[in-house]
Amino acid sequence: MSFTRRQQGGPVVRTFIGIGLAVFVLWSAAPVVWLILSSLLEQQALISQPPDVSPAGFTLDNFIQVLYAAAALGRGIMNSAIVALFSTAVALALGAPAAYALARLPVPRANGVAFLILATQMLPGIAIAIPLFIAISRLGLIDSVFSLGVVYLSFNLPIVVWILRGFFQGIPVGIERAAAVDGAGVIATFWHIVLPISIPPMAAAAVFAFVEAWNEFFFALILTRQQAQTVPLVIAQFAGQYQTVFGQMMAAAVISVAPVIALAIVFRNQIVRGFADGMTKG
Amino acid sequence: MTAVELRSVSKSFGHHLVCRDVNLSVREGEFVTLLGSSGCGKTTTLNMIAGLEDASAGDILMNGQRVNDLSPVQRDVAMVFQNYALYPHMTVAQNIGFTLKMRKLAPTEIRTRVERVAQSLELSALLERLPAQLSGGQQQRVAIGRALVREPRVFLFDEPFSNLDAGLRVRMRVEVKELHQRLGVTSIFVTHDQEEAMSISDRIAVMNAGVVEQFGTPEEIYNQPATRYVASFIGSPRIELYAGTLEPGACRIGGVALPIGAMAAGDPEVEVGVRPEHVRLGDRGFPATVRLVQPVGPATHVTLDWEGGSLTASLPGFIRLTPGTAVKAEIDPDHLLVFDRKTGKRRAPQRPS
Repeated sequence: MSFTRRQQGGPVVRTFIGIGLAVFVLWSAAPVVWLILSSLLEQQALISQPPDVSPAGFTLDNFIQVLYAAAALGRGIMNSAIVALFSTAVALALGAPAAYALARLPVPRANGVAFLILATQMLPGIAIAIPLFIAISRLGLIDSVFSLGVVYLSFNLPIVVWILRGFFQGIPVGIERAAAVDGAGVIATFWHIVLPISIPPMAAAAVFAFVEAWNEFFFALILTRQQAQTVPLVIAQFAGQYQTVFGQMMAAAVISVAPVIALAIVFRNQIVRGFADGMTKG
Repeated sequence: MTAVELRSVSKSFGHHLVCRDVNLSVREGEFVTLLGSSGCGKTTTLNMIAGLEDASAGDILMNGQRVNDLSPVQRDVAMVFQNYALYPHMTVAQNIGFTLKMRKLAPTEIRTRVERVAQSLELSALLERLPAQLSGGQQQRVAIGRALVREPRVFLFDEPFSNLDAGLRVRMRVEVKELHQRLGVTSIFVTHDQEEAMSISDRIAVMNAGVVEQFGTPEEIYNQPATRYVASFIGSPRIELYAGTLEPGACRIGGVALPIGAMAAGDPEVEVGVRPEHVRLGDRGFPATVRLVQPVGPATHVTLDWEGGSLTASLPGFIRLTPGTAVKAEIDPDHLLVFDRKTGKRRAPQRPS
C-alpha cells in the first residue's frame, strides 16, 4: 500500500512530466488563490480592469461585513454540516457492509447489482429533480434538513459502495480465511479484520461524500426555502438584484471552503491511498 | 484411530475438476503431507479438510463423524497459511489471541495462553510489535503460534515455508517436526518441495492432476513408487527414465541388457527408471562418457552420456573426473524400476512362489 519512488524516463521525459504537473497544479490552485485574493480586496480594487492588487486595495472589510450578516451564514454552515455529516456517516454505515457483501459474499449476480447501483448515478440531476420535488413536497418535507440529507445520502451511497468494493476485492483472501479458521463469522470478520484495515479507503470515501454534500447547489436550491438553506445558497444571495457584492461573496466562500480544505489536508494521505487502492484493484 | 478421512472426495470449480476421487486416511497423531506440483489440487484438498471449501462430492470425516457441513471452528482445525495471513493491524499478541477472543475467553486467560505460546516459540519479546515490523521467519512463527494457541485437534499447513529463504526453510522444518513430536497433534501439510515432504512426514500423498497417485511412507514412495510420475517427482537428482524392452531374465535398454528377475506379466515394451545412487562407475559395465561433474559435499553427481542418452550417477564423497573421460558404468539391476509404458504404473517384480 506504499508508493515506491522510482525515476521514470530520461531527463526530457521528466521535464515534460514536471511541466505537466506544474500546469495541473496551477489549474487546480488558481481558483482557490483567486478566491482568497478577491475576498481580501475592496470592491473598487476588485472590479477595476485589471484588478488592482497593490497593498492599498487590501482590506478585511468583506469578512467583517459577512460576519455582521452572520446569522444567515452561520445557519447555512450549520445546515451544510448537518446534511454533509449525516449523508456521509450513513452512506459509510450502509455502504461498507453492502460493498463487502458485493465484494466477497456469495451474492447472486453481484456484478449486475453493483452496476445497477452505479447506474443510478448516470441519470442527469434535472431528470430526477421534478419527481423528487413532488415526492418531497407531498411528504411535507420541503425546506427540511432531514430530507436534504436523505437526498444527498442517495447520491453518496453508490459512490461509497463503489470505492469500498474495489478496495475490499483487493484484500488478500487469506486473511479472511485465517479469520474463519480462528472462529470469526462473517460479521466478526468484517468488524474485527476488514474494517480496521480499510480505514484509508473509508477516509477517502468519507471526504469525497462530505465534499459532494457540502458543495451541492442545485437540489438544495429546489428543496429548501429559508430554514434549511445550505452554504452555497447563502453565498449565492450575495448576488443581489441590483448589485453583486463580490468581495463579501468571496469572503463567505472562503469561510465555507475552509472546513473542506482543512479536511482534505488532514486526511490527504488516507485519501491518496484510498483512491489509489480503489482504482487499481476495482 | 482415524483422525481425518476423505472418502471419494471430488471438487470442481465450474467445469474444471480440481480433485478427483481423493481417498485419504490420516491416523491420530500422524504427520501427513500432500505433495505435488502447483495446480495438482493439494491446497484445495487441504481447504476442504479445513472447511474453507465445500467438497463437490464425497465425505470428509473426523474421528468417524461426517464434517462436510461443519464450519472450520466446529471442525476444530487450526491452519497456517502460505502468506502467513497475519492481521496487519493487530500486534503479535492480538494476532495470536484473536481466536481465543472469538471464543469469548476472559482477557486474563487469553493473556496467559498467548504468553505461554509466545514463550515456546521465542516470540515473547515481540508481543507488542505489528506484523510489518517482523522478519519473514518471525511472521511465520506468529502464524504457527496463532494455530498453536487453540490446541486444536488437527493442524493444517498450506505451504508454510514457501516464502522463506532456503536456510530458514530448513530450520523451520526442524522446528515444526520437533513441535509435532512434542505435541503429537495430527498434522496435514501441503508442499511442492519433495525433499521437505520426505524429511518431515510420516506418510506422503503424492498428488497429480487432482488424483492421489500414491499414499505411503517416505520409504515406500521412494523405493516403490506406484507410478512413473511419483518416481520422477521424488528424488534429487531426478530419476532417469528410458524406453526399454523386457526379455526373459533381462531388461534391454538400447544395446545394454540388464539382468533382472521375473516381472508381472504385461506388455514387454516398458519404461525403466534408474536412480542416481544405483549407478556405479568401475571396470565393468557399459561404456559412457563423463559430461558434467557436480560435487555437493557428501556426494558427487556425475552426469554421463551413454547409448541410452543421459545418466546421472550419485557417488559418495568427492570424485575427481574430467569431462570427456571415457568410463564404464553399471546399473544395480535390483533397484531398477519398471513402468508400464502406456499406463505409467509400476510393474512389480514377480514374487517367488
